This record gives sequence, structure tokens and C-alpha cells, in this order.
Amino acid sequence: MHIPDGFLDLSICVIMYLAALVFWAFAFRRAKQVLSDRQIPLMATLTAMFFAAQMMNYPIVGGTTAHLLGGPILAITLGPYSGLISTTIILLIQALFFGDGGITTFGANVWNMGIVGVFIPYLICLFAMKTMKNRNGMLIGAFLGALVGDLLAAIFAGLELGLSTLSFPYSVPIAVTAMAIHHFFIGVGEGILTAIIISVLWKTRPDLLQLPKVAPTWMGELPTTSLM
Amino acid sequence: MNRSKKLLAVGITISIIFVVIGCIWLSLSVETLDEVAEHFGSSESPVWTPPIPDYEIPGLEGNVAANIFIGIVFTLVTLGVAFAAGKVLKAKK
Repeated sequence: MHIPDGFLDLSICVIMYLAALVFWAFAFRRAKQVLSDRQIPLMATLTAMFFAAQMMNYPIVGGTTAHLLGGPILAITLGPYSGLISTTIILLIQALFFGDGGITTFGANVWNMGIVGVFIPYLICLFAMKTMKNRNGMLIGAFLGALVGDLLAAIFAGLELGLSTLSFPYSVPIAVTAMAIHHFFIGVGEGILTAIIISVLWKTRPDLLQLPKVAPTWMGELPTTSLM
Repeated sequence: MNRSKKLLAVGITISIIFVVIGCIWLSLSVETLDEVAEHFGSSESPVWTPPIPDYEIPGLEGNVAANIFIGIVFTLVTLGVAFAAGKVLKAKK
């Protein structure tokens, strides 16, 4: 889903950079408030792990391949603010050193994978936990969050491509449909892997699941992993 | 070994396993976006020449050992950058 240089119109690139800037500013401010000493090694480890995980490409339908994005797990373990910073670091290293994703399209890639791909799974998982108040709630939330997060990130990528009429000669419906169909299957894979990893973490290191601790106050009291 | 060091050790080990699997068995990358773009006739126009395009050292394309080396080095670079970012954020608290 890494959009390279040349696929988006300059106006779309600028808009996506501005949108990403707003979230970066917010994430840096909030991460400063919620990031604890204990979380720094976790943040570094998960960022490195998902950089490495993105080197594994598994085959999906239509002869294409997919890889884990990692946004949902980063959101559930670190919270969305540190999750966005982690994803930004991965995308920056990929773009600068490997040409995986463009420089002009960096804002769009951060929006798709670092903001939509992190905040949507985070919110869906929170609502599932709030509704079901048990372990299954978190696992269902993790699966659905990853699936919907991936799908929405692909739909946004399709929108950006479709609206780039100078660079991408096809309309929004065609670009969105093409991206969404493939990424539905990628999302199912990401959802299953996310639920498995969260389940393993639940059994071995429940203290690493930060979700309830960084939940917004308007959601009210959330059950912690130790009580579910 | 305290819990943080153990976490780092486990994380680095898993990352190296990911890199090795990614370079040996799951290295073929056919990105959906590239396929869609190719189908629609769009092409890339890079504004930056990356030093290691497509995760392969120029001149050593297809060399699995070199790819694993690059994967591990940049996994550790990513770890260092994220650790530094965490420290900077914490210092500004």
C-alpha cells in the first residue's frame, strides 16, 4: 500500500502532508504525556519487529502478495499516539533508504497506514472491549479493527489515487474498488494474525496491552486486562 | 536479565527470524498497488534515489546473504531510531 512518487497529484500530496502534520503534532504532544519509561523498550522493539515483518510477503488472491502492516498491534500495545510515531519511523526508513513509498507521497502513506491504520483499529477495539467486557471482546475487536483498518486505509489510498486526475487516469470508484477488493483479503489476514498475537500477549504479558490505559476519557471506565 | 532487556532480546530474535523468512521463503513482493497502477497504466517518477532500492544492495541483487545482512542492519537501525524517539519524547515530558 506504499504509494510511490508520481502516483498522486501535487495538490493531494500537500493536503495529505497537512493532514498528517495535524496528527503528528497531536500524537507527539499526547505521547509525551502517556509514554512511560517501561514503554520505550517496547515501542523500540515493536517498531523494529514490524519493520522486519514487512519484509515477509505472503501470497493472496489475484497473484499479488501482502505483508503485515502492524498498525493494529501497535495501537493495542502502545496506544495510537506512540503507534503513529512508530509507523512514521518505519515508513520514513522504508522511503529514504529503500524507495518503498515516495517522498512526495509520504504524508499520504502516513495518513493511510499510520493514522487510519492505527486509530481505526484502536477505536474499534476499544468499543468491542467496552461492549463485551471480556477477553473475547478484545480479540473480536482486534480482528475487526485490523480488518476495517486495512480496508479503510486501502479505500483512502484509492480515493487519493482516484482524485489525482493528472497522475492517475481513472476515476475514484474504479481506484477505490480495485484497492478495496484486494485489501479486504489482506485485512482478513492481518485480523487473524493480530488476534493470534494479542491472544498470546494476553496469556504471557497482559501488562503490555496498553489499550485501557490510553483510552479517551469520554469513553468512560474500561475493564483492564487483569480484570477480564 | 530484567524484563526490558528480555523483551528487547526476544524482539530482536523474532525480528531476525522475520528477516530470514522474508529473504529466503517469502521474498517475492507483488504489491497490490503496483499491480493496480500497472493495470491502469500509471508509472512511478521518483524524486529521490534510495541507496538500497527494493531492499537489495546495487550489484548484489538476488544475493540472499546480502539481503539478510541489510534486513538485520536496518532492523537494528529502526530499533535505535525508535528508542531515541521514545527517549526524546520522555525527556520533554
